[in-house]
Amino acid sequence: MCRLQRGAHKHMTKFVIRRMLQAIPTLFGISILVYAIMLATPGGPVAALTFSPDVTPQERAALAAQLGINDPWYVQYLRWLLGDDWMRFDSDGDGIADTAYLIPLDADGDGQPEPPGKRRGILRGDFGSSFYHGRRHVIEVIFERLGATFELGAASLVVGLTIGIPVGVLAAVNRGGPFDNFTRIVSVIFNAFPVFWLGLILLLIFGGTGLGLLPMGNRCGLVLVGGCPPFYQRLEYLVLPTFVIAAGFLAVYSRFMRASVLDVGTQDYIRTARAKGLSGRMVWFRHGLRNALIPIATLLGPSVTGVLSGAVVTENIFSWPGVGRLAVSSLQQRDYPTVMAIVMLASITTILGYLLSDMLYALIDPRIRLR
Amino acid sequence: MRHTLNVAFVLLALLVLALPAAAQEGGIVVRGNAGADPTAFDPLLTNETVTSDIQALIFPDLLSVDPATASIVNGPGPNALATGWELSEDGLTYTFSLREDMYWTDGEQINADDVMFVWDFIQSGAVPTHLSFVADEIANVEKIDDFTIAVSFAEADCDAINSIGSLEPYPSHIAPEDLTTMPDQEFNQNLYVSSGPYTFGEVRPAESISLLANPDYVDADLGYVNNDAFVLLNVPDLTVMVERFLAGELSIISGPQEARRAEIYAAEEEGRVQIYTYPGNSWDYLAFNLADPANPQNATDEDGNPIDQGMHPVFGSTEVGRDVRRALNLALDVDDIIERATFGEGTRMASHLVPASWAFDPTIDPVPHDPAMAAQMLTDAGWVNSDPDDPTSVRVCQGCATAEDGTEMRFVLNTNEENARRTAIITIAQEAWDQIGVKAEIQTLEWGSYLEKLFTQTLDAYVIGWRNGYPDRPDATQLFTPASDVVGGCSNCMSYNNPEFTALNEQARILPGCSVDERKAIYAEAQRIIQADTPYIFMFVRNGFYAAGSEVNGFDPFPSQLLWNVDTWSITQ
Repeated sequence: MCRLQRGAHKHMTKFVIRRMLQAIPTLFGISILVYAIMLATPGGPVAALTFSPDVTPQERAALAAQLGINDPWYVQYLRWLLGDDWMRFDSDGDGIADTAYLIPLDADGDGQPEPPGKRRGILRGDFGSSFYHGRRHVIEVIFERLGATFELGAASLVVGLTIGIPVGVLAAVNRGGPFDNFTRIVSVIFNAFPVFWLGLILLLIFGGTGLGLLPMGNRCGLVLVGGCPPFYQRLEYLVLPTFVIAAGFLAVYSRFMRASVLDVGTQDYIRTARAKGLSGRMVWFRHGLRNALIPIATLLGPSVTGVLSGAVVTENIFSWPGVGRLAVSSLQQRDYPTVMAIVMLASITTILGYLLSDMLYALIDPRIRLR
Repeated sequence: MRHTLNVAFVLLALLVLALPAAAQEGGIVVRGNAGADPTAFDPLLTNETVTSDIQALIFPDLLSVDPATASIVNGPGPNALATGWELSEDGLTYTFSLREDMYWTDGEQINADDVMFVWDFIQSGAVPTHLSFVADEIANVEKIDDFTIAVSFAEADCDAINSIGSLEPYPSHIAPEDLTTMPDQEFNQNLYVSSGPYTFGEVRPAESISLLANPDYVDADLGYVNNDAFVLLNVPDLTVMVERFLAGELSIISGPQEARRAEIYAAEEEGRVQIYTYPGNSWDYLAFNLADPANPQNATDEDGNPIDQGMHPVFGSTEVGRDVRRALNLALDVDDIIERATFGEGTRMASHLVPASWAFDPTIDPVPHDPAMAAQMLTDAGWVNSDPDDPTSVRVCQGCATAEDGTEMRFVLNTNEENARRTAIITIAQEAWDQIGVKAEIQTLEWGSYLEKLFTQTLDAYVIGWRNGYPDRPDATQLFTPASDVVGGCSNCMSYNNPEFTALNEQARILPGCSVDERKAIYAEAQRIIQADTPYIFMFVRNGFYAAGSEVNGFDPFPSQLLWNVDTWSITQ
């Protein structure tokens, strides 16, 4: 038994390492593809940054040069990947750049060399500085919003799973009955409602202009200093946005679970259990449920990805400060460093989510062996 | 007896201490913010609208602005460092005297070094900054002594004072030696040193920014800031912002959607809300490309020599095709557009100057709506209906000045897709022009893509808008002269070039003595010329709209100046 467990553990470790190694070229490919698409998209950050009647063409040109967006695409990609501290640097230690490769010393044509490059590139852990956000490091800007995204996403996932799975099981057990029909209708409705509509309606009903039972947005009430209290002290702020996102999870999980349980119900071992005289409850909950849960594991990977990539519409309606809003505004503003950082983090999350899904599958289903 | 007197004296002293001359009424002002999600605040590195609002409440200005007239004042003013200036005889150098009673919140005195630092930073080019234009306009800034600075220009410029206003004092004593590290400094996220009605509280990224009343604010109108704090609450969805305002969660909002304003007016009638509206400084226009969109060219080469830009087959060039553009203007009922696209929340424009501008000439009437005259003018200009019996049939060129005979009068009319108001404008324009045989195909584009096409000057006609600055600056060098007709980076993207207009604009800008009346007369002449040339169909300014809950005391805005007296506000609990 112990040897068997050790063997399974060894296989699992090898599997995880292999998948991680496979992820490297995948991430590399994603980065090239996304960078190329981003640069090929019409419009650029300078137009968005300087759309003002007071800005001269010369100032626009100088800004473009300073941001490096006029460089050839491969130079821009290399800067993102490997940094620019080796592209333009100060070789004699006087603080003024005097040597440059691939990029000009005087990019904006003012007769003075630009400051030495400071970026180290993503391979050295530097995701770059945002074109907006006061030129702050994008990873800081993203990380200060991850907590809110995770909070809302995790709450929605937990609600979706803890309600959706029992509802699916009960619907299957009472197949064709009133409960089954009711949940089927509800899940169709939940799937059909546009999120922006559902969010606004709930807000109007339960918010201050309606019943006044729940807050109309943000993560907590007015706080002048000290930040929001822990989430368990402000659960009322989570209720509406969580429900809006969880409605989709509920619909999917309940229908998926129902189908899975019904499928399991036709299996030989269930018939055998019945033949042995076990009660219906024992048959479903002891033998059926565990096996019916196996397909749910395949949904978890994409769900985790969805959770962390944020829910843009919901975040907008409920003024929730998540990554989704940041992603959309960065795309609109052509904030290339922020867009790339979010895409790479989302890609890593997706790969990890699917890896988690495969590992769960192997853990739950004894028929699956990881090689 | 003596003992009794002593007791009475002590009691009297206690009574005096217990009854201060005045007391803060308090409350928290909560403003709904539907703009960007600011996470950086260094005034040298960022100037998004929201960030600028914050900076204005916690930093001093260099110059004083009269909130009622939106003009810079040569004298002292609240929270302004300069007490006034003297202009040299040649009109090139302004010498400013600075106050000696202003301090940063960490106790450091504010002086000339804090202005000089801004100038040095701009010149260093260490970090891209929105203030880089200042270095193009100002020749030099010199510190005379700790409380006197001199700002020089290469040429006399009546609007120069606006550029100087950008040199707002910065706490130079906390700046790093290596200026390139400024984006990474704590000050970029936490303005822990300030000097204004408020001090920085905290920022909850993408959620709220809190400012705390500054007990040491020297220019408080009442002697103290009358409320406890000012919170900017981020509410990105405009519909939700109005709901939260009506629910009492927000004290003040500005610029709600035009479609929702009726509900706020209704709340005003019920006494729940205070409203202030005014002709704003954001304006929409419909522009015609006056060059060949198939072959975009700069207006001039590097030596300043004119380049042949061709002409648009329908709209012509600045000199050719005026009647066609005028006719297209006459065919539009702009009042109807204001009603349908903005629910009546707009004010007609007659030229490029907004009604709030000091240089605006109210005697210049907007172009009227006259579709019959429009049709006749097009026919006279050589664009005739292809079916003489059907006035809506597409017009074709028969002797027109801009295209070959047989060319149909068709073009594409663009705007940005996420703007419902502008989408309504192009739809209404399409309908109106269709009635006189002008066929416009309407297209909406994503904002970034739209700007790309605009800057590369490949559009036929387009609807977009400008927002004028504050204080107002009527100079139109960037909008309507060849100086900014540069492919890829234009503001004059439709290649308007009328030497007479350019000369008048320049004359008003550098007029010796800068007489307001004389400049106003020159700008009036320029307005008449540009209306006749019709490079734009000047439509409307969006009405500015401020609303405050009835619990807000002291709400008394001016155009573009909602918070000028916010230190006197209080909130009835």
